[in-house]
Amino acid sequence: MNRGYIVEMRNIVKRFGSVVALRGVDFYVQENEVVGLVGDNGAGKSTLVKILFGIYAPDEGEIIVKGIKFRKLNPKLAYELGIVLVHQERILCENHTIWRNVFMGRELTNRLGFLKISEMKKIAYECLSQLGLTRMQVDTPVKYLSGGYMQGVQISRALTFDADLVILDEPTTALSLVETQRVLEYVNKLKDRGKSSIFISHNIYHVYPVADRFVILDRGRVVAEFYKKDLTPEDLAEIMISIARTGSVPEKYQKLNLRLTYGKGSSSRSTL
Amino acid sequence: MVNMYRNIGNTVTRVTKALSGYKLQIIITAIFLSLWFIFYIINPPAITNIFTYYSIASVAPFTIIPALSLTLIIIAREIDLSFSSIMALGALVTALTWKALGEASPLGVLLGLLAGLGAGLLNGVLICKLGIPSLIATIGTMFLWRGVVLVVTQGFSIPLGEYRGSPVFNVLVGRIYGIPAHFLWAIGLAIVFWVILNRHKFGAYIYYVGDNRIGAQMVGINVHRVLISLYAIHGVIAAFAGIVDTLEMATFWPTLGDIYMLKSVAAVVVGGTPVTGGVGTIYGTFIGGLILEFIEMGVLTSGVTGFWIRLVHGVVIIIALAAQGMLRRIELARARIIKMLIEESEEK
Repeated sequence: MNRGYIVEMRNIVKRFGSVVALRGVDFYVQENEVVGLVGDNGAGKSTLVKILFGIYAPDEGEIIVKGIKFRKLNPKLAYELGIVLVHQERILCENHTIWRNVFMGRELTNRLGFLKISEMKKIAYECLSQLGLTRMQVDTPVKYLSGGYMQGVQISRALTFDADLVILDEPTTALSLVETQRVLEYVNKLKDRGKSSIFISHNIYHVYPVADRFVILDRGRVVAEFYKKDLTPEDLAEIMISIARTGSVPEKYQKLNLRLTYGKGSSSRSTL
Repeated sequence: MVNMYRNIGNTVTRVTKALSGYKLQIIITAIFLSLWFIFYIINPPAITNIFTYYSIASVAPFTIIPALSLTLIIIAREIDLSFSSIMALGALVTALTWKALGEASPLGVLLGLLAGLGAGLLNGVLICKLGIPSLIATIGTMFLWRGVVLVVTQGFSIPLGEYRGSPVFNVLVGRIYGIPAHFLWAIGLAIVFWVILNRHKFGAYIYYVGDNRIGAQMVGINVHRVLISLYAIHGVIAAFAGIVDTLEMATFWPTLGDIYMLKSVAAVVVGGTPVTGGVGTIYGTFIGGLILEFIEMGVLTSGVTGFWIRLVHGVVIIIALAAQGMLRRIELARARIIKMLIEESEEK
């Protein structure tokens, strides 16, 4: 743990009426690291990152971004802190051009609020090239793109704003095989450029190739955390199934589980 | 087979790339020109007479001016039906102020615009803060403000002929080489709105709010602030149109604005702005408004009764909507081909 933390979330609790979505979750992301956030449907993955992006406010707990402590965030603040959200329900305006979508909500303007169009086009083109989309015309309306490229446009926002952390919330759901590969490539390219990502999926075969570390959520709790180097995809699948059935990690993997040691001595640590 | 598609696709892409984004504008201009041609065949003397155009220019702004700001609201996927009553409210405040002061003071115009601003803000608050759907909320305020106007005037008109020739009159509805000043105001406002929509951050937000409201919220755009600002702007512009109309007639009529409500909505729709939001142009609305006035002129000068006007309006609106529907379907088919081409070129 010699790398710095980009984000640390401590003892996050979130309730929706009588439903408790998150029951005291501790979660962190280090510099230049891809965290695979996995778990079954309804485990609280999306809720957790929506809190991190400021769409929901947590009922308890705190969020520390780059050393600054927050009770809650909002999307604008999250953007300013260098966090970008790539959502499965695309945050894109499909009738509008690629460059407008790349800068959506964070347009470059002069002091009077007028758009610096040619500058934005240039930067959008450069950022898409960094992801390997060199032939893409930034004047093309987004509706002409296929799903994988649409995710590419969203991911390129991270490069435009020089963000440090990209949250990918089920970015590969509803994509074909080839397009999924494409999105995974983009994630690798982000890592090459020193960015961190949180990759959420319930399909471990999408997460496994790109993630450095897996955090497994189950019914609002973090039940396990592993380094990729300790596991094969098959191991991870076995663990996931075991957690889904029994709620616990199989005995033979327990010694690899980081959650047994992580946070020792921290008062905010919940009983897992 | 694929090669053939690629060749067609490349040509299509190259030609349409130059014109892309202007497609609707081109179509609406073509409709306008063909109408002109039809009326030319029917009645050449009327169409070649310069006074025909002066007369269109003197009535078209009352439809076009409120339609400009209404375009922004429809792009944001909302609607405002109350602006016809706000037109009357703003004009009434101006007329009463002038009567009270005994002169055509700019203060009266200012107060009229402020009344429009207030009414617009009320719409925005009802829709955003109370969550009332805009269609319902603005039907409510439409009755409210019309009611206020009728109660205050007791249904009587207010003659303003004595102020004719005053500076305020000349600035708003004077004639410059025969061209009505309010037509120039309409052009000026159209340019301002075009710039806001296409070159300013606020315009971008309007498009995003109409295209993907949840997405806009997620990137941190304050959707409520955008909508309330839009309704406030629309209120001011409606009041302005009402004041200009009253000055042109030199009389305040309590029913002012009633006929413009559906006409302005029609101008926006004929101009190619779909009610589904996210797209639309100011140019289209401007030409759409001209088309409606042009039809009126054409029908009247071709010698049939005025009852035909509504019928022809209806036909043109339906044709315009059908054409847009067809265009969208062609667009979808084209999108599929382009998707394929982009796919291929990126694979290389």
